[in-house]
Amino acid sequence: MIFVTVGTVMPFDRLIIALDEWAAAHPGTAVFAQIGSGTYLPKSMEWDRSLAPSLFREKVEAAEVVVAHAGIGSYLTSAGARTPLVMMPRRKALGEHTTDHQLATANWLRGREGIFVAEDETGIEQAISEAMDSVAGPDQFSDHAPEAFVNRLNAYIRGREA
Amino acid sequence: MTQRVLAICSSGGHWMQLMRLQRSFEGLDVAYACTRADYEKDVPGHRFYVVGEVNSKSLQRMPRTLYTVMRALLKERPDTIITTGALPGLTALVLGKVFFRSKTIWIDSIANSEQISVSGRHASRIADVFLTQWPHLSSPDGPDYWGAVI
Repeated sequence: MIFVTVGTVMPFDRLIIALDEWAAAHPGTAVFAQIGSGTYLPKSMEWDRSLAPSLFREKVEAAEVVVAHAGIGSYLTSAGARTPLVMMPRRKALGEHTTDHQLATANWLRGREGIFVAEDETGIEQAISEAMDSVAGPDQFSDHAPEAFVNRLNAYIRGREA
Repeated sequence: MTQRVLAICSSGGHWMQLMRLQRSFEGLDVAYACTRADYEKDVPGHRFYVVGEVNSKSLQRMPRTLYTVMRALLKERPDTIITTGALPGLTALVLGKVFFRSKTIWIDSIANSEQISVSGRHASRIADVFLTQWPHLSSPDGPDYWGAVI
């Protein structure tokens, strides 16, 4: 199963349409999409607007590949489950987000094990194909921020650091 | 008396970054606030508030955000407010600073690897601690860099 997510806050129909077309062309692979507030309703894949966090994690764990907008939540959840991740960044010029920070996130994560960046919808087919052939998802990390950061914040909040 | 902390942010990556800071609140009386009600399950045993989602493309929602954030602040009267963004978190820092003289901490999302977020730039004017998670974005005049949550 391929799990598609564009978060829940802003629509990202460009990615949902691309995956609906991919699903139509690959009827042997189940595709499930969390489409958020998008206006395009998929025809060739199952979908929901928003999944509860526990169900979202289950989908990411069960998926062969996750296809997502280049959001940090999608990255952290995929890394937690070690599920290969295809990312396509939202673009401000297309009204898909308030800034182009998802381009920056895609640039930051590009080339890491288990991460496959599609610059736009024309790169989706190849990125999914590479992700399906990959051996592992993104590297996992600890559930917590580094101890030095945590301790410094705690000390500041307690008033023990100026 | 145990210090009261309000940890507040938007959904998705902002919340996941905030969750990675939970150990920073050990020994403190922390309440959480987010724009999604179903996140309450992530913080069992803590007070939890739902606040209105707003972003620069949906500023018409700001009155509801102001109302829900203010209601949470009136209940909590936090000594410290900490946020990982975005606009609802900025709203909490501003209201908390003005009405409750709270200490305010802004941690810009790790998503902002090339420039500080728009909300972060506004927060820099009122945050007592203003952090980026990217060393190359820090400067002597702020933001500071204490590390990243990942």
